[in-house]
Amino acid sequence: MESMIGRGRDAISMIVDPDSFAENQVGNVQVPEGYGPGAVVGTASLNGRPVTILANDAQAVNPRFPVVYFGVIGMEEAYKMASAVYESILADRDKPVGEKRPLLLIVDTPGNGPGKVEEIFGMNKATGAYQLALAEARKAGHAVIAMVIGRAISGAFLCHGLQADHILALPKECGTMIHVMPLTSISRITKMDIERLEELSQESPVFAAGVDFFYRLGGVEEIVPAPEGMRDALARHVELVEALKREGHYEQTGPWSRGALGAERGGRTTRPEVLRRMAEEFAAVSSSYLA
Amino acid sequence: MSYGNGQKMSFLEANARQRANWLVDEGSFTELLGPQDRMTSPHLPALGEAVSFDDGVVTGVGRIGTRPVFVISQEGRFIGGAVGEVHGAKMVGIFRLALDAYKAAAEKHPDDLDAYRPAVVISFETGGVRLHEANAGLLAHAEVMDMIQDTKGKLPVISLIGSKVGCFGGMGFVAAATDAIIMSPLGRLGLTGPEVIEQEMGKEEFDASDKSLVSRTTGGKHKYIMQDCNILVEDTIMGFRRALCDLLAQPYEKVCACRRIGSYQLVKEQMDLVALAVELNPGDAKDVWRYYGNEHPEQLPELETAEFLRVVHRRPKEVR
Repeated sequence: MESMIGRGRDAISMIVDPDSFAENQVGNVQVPEGYGPGAVVGTASLNGRPVTILANDAQAVNPRFPVVYFGVIGMEEAYKMASAVYESILADRDKPVGEKRPLLLIVDTPGNGPGKVEEIFGMNKATGAYQLALAEARKAGHAVIAMVIGRAISGAFLCHGLQADHILALPKECGTMIHVMPLTSISRITKMDIERLEELSQESPVFAAGVDFFYRLGGVEEIVPAPEGMRDALARHVELVEALKREGHYEQTGPWSRGALGAERGGRTTRPEVLRRMAEEFAAVSSSYLA
Repeated sequence: MSYGNGQKMSFLEANARQRANWLVDEGSFTELLGPQDRMTSPHLPALGEAVSFDDGVVTGVGRIGTRPVFVISQEGRFIGGAVGEVHGAKMVGIFRLALDAYKAAAEKHPDDLDAYRPAVVISFETGGVRLHEANAGLLAHAEVMDMIQDTKGKLPVISLIGSKVGCFGGMGFVAAATDAIIMSPLGRLGLTGPEVIEQEMGKEEFDASDKSLVSRTTGGKHKYIMQDCNILVEDTIMGFRRALCDLLAQPYEKVCACRRIGSYQLVKEQMDLVALAVELNPGDAKDVWRYYGNEHPEQLPELETAEFLRVVHRRPKEVR
């Protein structure tokens, strides 16, 4: 099946209305040409409605930050994406929930910028800033939908994807990769036999690499069978999320709801027990703390 | 060790339970889901790994004055304080309880909320995701970020960083997303850990075994100069506790003013800082310290904390 790895810009064309994508234009702001080239932001239409696009460009390199290539999100990229999110919130601040522009995240990124300059200036802030912006947009009533078309690796997936209301992914047959670390690296670090790890990963989705395992953990809402289906699936999930938000069901989307989904699908069953018992134990002593 | 003696102890040396107990008022800490509950990782045994009865994090509630303080204290001695399913759920659980407590306090004390406003305090000691249960750990990080956004405008979240493992990986951005960060010079904060940078960039560019290089790049003094650490304290429990109490005694808006990210305005400031990174292209953090007016940057790492605080020049809040 057709692989979409490294084809973030192609994915945008496949998803939005023909010729509707205005790159670097979000709200009233024009992002300077060439800034954060590893990230693509802009405004397009989806079935006639304006949407904000946030994607990775795996073909671009950032001449100012050499760690940014092949879809890496560096400092400029993360702040560029955060700005596009804040501009979207501002542009629609007076619109009711349901009419606020959706944010579509097209995900194909292997990591956040690892480097000395990045650490000196604080790459942790850049990725954190983008995540907070997305969470704010989600809670302000925008539908935020992520479409994993290629690589969604570890911290970069946290940065660009895991704050969405709903996460969709192409199947592994398209070459889609979702993981923290490949089993070979886990084997090296944990000093466990790779065959044994492969065997274990059949029963336990909790450390194995792959879209299907994330699905079982509740980390992916839906697997879209083929790239041609992305456009319709995204439009459908925008509607689903907006319907929930119009009713005020904000806890039924986003990271919190994926926790419940993980329990439902049998991938993360201890989490709800932890939450339940903590609440119970606090209830027994709360009167002495809540004066 | 008594509470009084505990105050004098090195924060770096203290374990997670000692930190949790001694950061809040004496005798006020109640552990929630403590070792007696034996809520251990369901995933580690399959991998032949030992479990810990607290899964590497102490969670609970204490008081500072009239205020309930919800505490998360990570234990680096257990798999480097890394976050798995249970550990992550305990962090999320603390935020849920704190948000509920905020609701109760806002109803009960509408005119005097600052005195009763709950706080969340995180004593970080972690490299982020626990590889043995990596996917669950990753999803838990996203939940914690979601919770932090929920606290905005309601209650302060304070990071304390001064333990051996430091605060790296996904927890590096969790810390960045909190309202205020207190560090000791021994604290380490970053996204990509030193070993990973070395692996990516080569030893000649970044030698992870060079402790002073690691400290200059990720340490409390550097983060203080950059305004990425708000308060720099001595390496004692008392040092951290006093700074925490002083901070919480401020009006909530003052605590929020410590933030470095979390609004469009702050993102714009950070973008100016990134432009400065391009302009300076520093080979070492010392180049940045000099840029901010520290004439003898090579002397700063050697200084005692009090002397450092007296002489250091920090990044002005406006970058240029």
